[in-house]
Amino acid sequence: MTTYSSNKTQLGQLMAHKDLLISWTSRIVKARYQQSVLGGLWAVVQPLALALIFTAVFTLVIRMDTGEIPYIVFSYTALVPWLLFEQSISSSVLSLVANMGLVSKIYFPREVLPIAEVGARLVDFVIAFVVLIGFMVFYGLPVFTLSWIYLPIILITQLCLVLGIGFIGSALNVFFRDVSHVIVLILKIWMYATPIIYPVTLVQSQLQNFGLERFYWLYFLNPMSAIIESYRNVILHNEGLNEFFWIAAIISVTVLMFGYWLFKRLEFRFADVV
Amino acid sequence: MEYSIEFNDIVKRYRLGQSVTSIRDMVKNVGRRAEPEYHYAVNGVDFQLKRGESLGIIGPNGAGKTTTLKLLSGVTKPTSGVIKVNGRFSALIELGAGFHPDLTGRENVYLNGTILGMSRAEITERFDDILDFAGIGQFIDTPVKRYSSGMYARLGFSIAAHVDPDVLLVDEVLAVGDFAFRAKCYKRMDDLRAKGTSLIFVTHDMDAVRRVCDQGMVMYGGEAIFRGTSAEAVVAYSDVVRKAAKKASQQKDLSTVENGLAQRVMTFAADIQNVSMLNSEGELVTTHEPGDEATIVVEFDVNQDIKSPVFAFTIRKPDGTLVYDATTQWLNIETPSYKAGEAGRVEYKVNLNLIEGSYDIGVDMASHDLGSYIDRIERAMGFAIVNGSGAKGIADLQPKFNFNKAEPADKVNG
Repeated sequence: MTTYSSNKTQLGQLMAHKDLLISWTSRIVKARYQQSVLGGLWAVVQPLALALIFTAVFTLVIRMDTGEIPYIVFSYTALVPWLLFEQSISSSVLSLVANMGLVSKIYFPREVLPIAEVGARLVDFVIAFVVLIGFMVFYGLPVFTLSWIYLPIILITQLCLVLGIGFIGSALNVFFRDVSHVIVLILKIWMYATPIIYPVTLVQSQLQNFGLERFYWLYFLNPMSAIIESYRNVILHNEGLNEFFWIAAIISVTVLMFGYWLFKRLEFRFADVV
Repeated sequence: MEYSIEFNDIVKRYRLGQSVTSIRDMVKNVGRRAEPEYHYAVNGVDFQLKRGESLGIIGPNGAGKTTTLKLLSGVTKPTSGVIKVNGRFSALIELGAGFHPDLTGRENVYLNGTILGMSRAEITERFDDILDFAGIGQFIDTPVKRYSSGMYARLGFSIAAHVDPDVLLVDEVLAVGDFAFRAKCYKRMDDLRAKGTSLIFVTHDMDAVRRVCDQGMVMYGGEAIFRGTSAEAVVAYSDVVRKAAKKASQQKDLSTVENGLAQRVMTFAADIQNVSMLNSEGELVTTHEPGDEATIVVEFDVNQDIKSPVFAFTIRKPDGTLVYDATTQWLNIETPSYKAGEAGRVEYKVNLNLIEGSYDIGVDMASHDLGSYIDRIERAMGFAIVNGSGAKGIADLQPKFNFNKAEPADKVNG
C-alpha cells in the first residue's frame, strides 16, 4: 500500500552514498582534533594511561602472572582493540540522536551515521596500534610474525560485532533515551568479563579450583573474550585462531545481520520522533 | 504519461501525546484503555508533476507544507498513499545542513554536497562554479563559524544550486539573503527548469511563487484547498487568510478583543455587513488595470446612534506592507451621523495607480473622538491589478517619456 519507489536495494542505497560516508567520517575526525591541544595523541594517551594504571596495580599491589610477556605489553595489546570496541559503540549509539536536526530534514541512509563513528575510531585504533609495535620493539619481542596475517580477520570480526551493536543501540536510543546509559554501564562491566587485565589462564585455574572446568566454554559466549585472546595469540604468541574464535565470528556476524535488519526496519520512524 | 513526481492520495498522521510511556505512567494507566488521538498533518493530498513543471505550495503555518516536502524527500513515510519520485532529487530544507562550525568553507562544501547527493568527484568538478556563485571569496578557507548569516546562506544555496537534480524541492530557505541574492537564486531555478528539472517550492513570499512557479497549490489544515496557476493560487491564499481572520473576529463579544487585530475596545455600535468594489462603470469587479478608477463600497447596519463616526480604509500587500491608509479625520472630511436601525453605505472613489500584483483592502469605523473602534475588518476583500507596465514597486506613477538632444553649453548662452 505504501511504497517509496526506489530501484536500489538497501545496500545499493548505502553504496550510492559512499562519498557521504567518507565526508562524514572525516568530519568527525577533523572536528574532534580541531580544538584539542593533544589532537591525534589522544588515540595513544588513552590506552597508554590505562595500561600504566593497570600495570602499577597488577605488578606492585597484586601480582598477576602473564608469563614471559611484560604486563604492560600484555594489557596494552588488549586495551587497544577494547577501546575501539567501547568507544565506537558509545558514540555510534548516540549518533542518530546527536544529529536529529539532519535526520529530520534530509534523506540519506541513516546507517551512515553510526558507521562513520566506527570508522572515525578506527583511525584512533591504527595510531594506537603503531605505538604497540613500538612497545614490542622496545621490549625485544618479535614483530610481524607470520600469524599477523590473521589480524585483518580478527579486526573484521570485531567490526561486525561493533556495527551490529551500534545499529541496535542507535536505533533503540532514538525511541528510548535510556538505552545509551544502559549500554555505557554494560560496557564498563563487560570489560571485566573479558580477559583484558587478567590472562585467560587465570579463569581456567579458578574454574579448576572449583571443579568446574567443563564450563570453560561459557566464558567464551562473550565474543569479545575470544576476539581479545586471538589478538594476543596472534600478536604476542605467534599462534593461529582457535575454535572459540570461530564461534565468536559466527556470533558477531549474526549480531551484525540482525542489527542491520532492525535498524532498517525502524529507520523511517526516526524522523517522526524528535 | 511519465510523471516526474507523483504524490497520490497521501495521508500522514501523527499520534498525539507521549510517544514513550515511562514505567510510572504505565503503572498509573493499568486497566485503562485510552483511544489514541491523531493529528492529520497531510490529509488526502493528491498531485502529479511532469518534467520541467514547477509547483508552488503556499499556506499558513501548520498547513502541512513542510511535511509534504519531507514526505517527498523520503525523510518520513506516509501513513497511506503512494509517492513516486523519478530521478535524482535534491531537497533544500535547510541551508548548510551538516555544516560543522570548526571546519572551513571548503571542507563543508564537500560535506554538505555529499549530504545533498553529489559525489566527491562532481563537487571537485563544480567547485569553482560553486565558489563563484556564492561570492565569498577567500573566506572559503576560514572556519564557517566566522561567517555572517548571509555568507552562510549564500554558500549553502550555492552548493544546493549545483546539485543538478531531476527534481528540486525547496522549503522556505531564501528568507535570509538580500534581494540581489534572491534574484540570483530565482534565476538559477529558472535555468534548472529550462533543463527539465521539476521544482516544488514552499514559501510565504507571494512574489517569489509567481516569479518562480507556473502552478500553485494552497494548503490549509493538511488539505490542498486550491490548485491552479501560481497567480490564481496567490489570490486564493489571500481569501483563505481573510476567512480565517473573519472567523477569529466573529468570536467577538462586546468586550476587549484579544486576537491581535484590535486590542482596543470594539463597541459594535454598527456592524459592517459587506465590502465590495466597483469599477468606473459600476460593475462588481476585483481585477483592475493600473490607473483605473474604482469605488470601494462599505455597507453597514447601525445598532446604536452614532455621531459622525470616522471612516477609514487601508490597502495592503498580502505580506502586510502598507500601500495606502486614509481616514476621514486625516483628510478633514465631515461625516454624517446615524441613528439606530438605519443601514448605512459609504463609497470611496479612488484612482488605482498601483503596480501589478494583489492587494487587500481593510476597512474600519471608529467613534468621532477616536476613543474606540466601532467595527473593523482587517482584510475585507482582495483585488488584483493586472496588465502592468513592467515597472516595479508599489505606486504606479504612469510616467511619460520624452527623448530630446540636449543643447550644447555655449549655445544656451548665445
